[in-house]
Amino acid sequence: MDLEGFEAATVPHMNALYDAALRLAGDQATAQDLTQETYLRALRSFGTFEPGSNCRAWLLRIQYNLFCTQYRRGRRMPLVWLDEGETDPSLDLPSHEPGPEEQTVRELDREAVRRAIAQLPEDFRMAVTLVDINGLTCAEAATVMDVPRGTILSRLHRARRRLETMLLPELGRVQADDL
Amino acid sequence: MTCEDFRLRLTAFSLGELEPGERKLTRDHLAACDDCASRVLVDRQLTALLRASAVPAPSETFAAVLAAVRVEAARDEAGLPATSPRRQAPPRQARRRHWVALAAALLAAAAVVASALLVVPAPDPGSPLSAAWSSYHSEGKNGLGTPSKAEAERLFAVLGPASRTPDLSAYGLRKDGWEGRDLAGHVAAVAEYRDAEGGRVTLMRWRGDLPRMARGPEGTELAAYRWGRHTSYWWHADGVVWCLVGTIDQDRLYQIAEHLGGES
Repeated sequence: MDLEGFEAATVPHMNALYDAALRLAGDQATAQDLTQETYLRALRSFGTFEPGSNCRAWLLRIQYNLFCTQYRRGRRMPLVWLDEGETDPSLDLPSHEPGPEEQTVRELDREAVRRAIAQLPEDFRMAVTLVDINGLTCAEAATVMDVPRGTILSRLHRARRRLETMLLPELGRVQADDL
Repeated sequence: MTCEDFRLRLTAFSLGELEPGERKLTRDHLAACDDCASRVLVDRQLTALLRASAVPAPSETFAAVLAAVRVEAARDEAGLPATSPRRQAPPRQARRRHWVALAAALLAAAAVVASALLVVPAPDPGSPLSAAWSSYHSEGKNGLGTPSKAEAERLFAVLGPASRTPDLSAYGLRKDGWEGRDLAGHVAAVAEYRDAEGGRVTLMRWRGDLPRMARGPEGTELAAYRWGRHTSYWWHADGVVWCLVGTIDQDRLYQIAEHLGGES
């Protein structure tokens, strides 16, 4: 087992895996479990990974399959997510960023965006997570979700229009440097 | 190309997913239409916001994942069979949350505001929360008895048919006992079940309103409250609150909740 090669290929993508897990699962503890299980599965099947292909997409596919088969619960009923009331200190902006007021506004924007994304239907949320947040192409996202590329495009289009409506106040505050 | 045609292609255009011919038509339209050009800008603003909302993995997640991977690799090197990830000890934080969640499921029955309980660390020994957990743990381990006839009649008088212990043998669960329990002044019927692997399911019912934390959106009849990988299911029927929590496979637990929710 090539542990060194596995870690070199996969660890750089752990932030993306955790972010996707958090958006799928909805809470930090489950997101950590899901990320960990994804890595263990990936370790066992690392021999099937094709060097040079998109490792992040490969990991996300493993994770999405795992979520669909073992973690998705009670889809026909509403899940009541509680706000854990925790602030992730790693979200603090670096010191060279603008002053505290603007930092606060930006953090509020991030929170508003996370909440808006969380309100999307799961299929839309996953498409946004894969393509808009984690930078996969539509074709790669289609492979992860096992749907046609056109379906991903359609979900993204509808998700973005919904998000535009929900995030209208925040959209005006995006800085030119962010674009 | 009309503005409506453009709007339908906006996302594909932004992502560079249009065919060359369509891309040229779209660019020509944008060059002549300020309204659609501003839509492209809003779309870029939106994607910038989305990118910025990414949540990095906490350092403890990095550490836990790497540790699990290295243990698994060492097992493989030693020729040991792969561990089932679902059976590995969960990370410390998840274990604590599961602990708190189960205790909270009980105390929510006592109409304690559970949303506050759920974010606190494990309680100090001797605290009410700790005592409730100890009671739950020991009673589950020892098994519940069967209430006296008088107690059963009292439960029936309070809860009506909801006091009866449902038969869950179709789900591989045998009755392990039931009893009346005082949950902070609420008379509750508590039933325990076990499956062949020792998995445990607890069903609690008491008369009252659903705890605030267990209320789903308006008009829904069954709500799942999840913390970590464990879920408790809550519903309300004829003035009686039902709470189902267990350590068995969570899909099976959901099926049971749906079944009981349909019956009650």
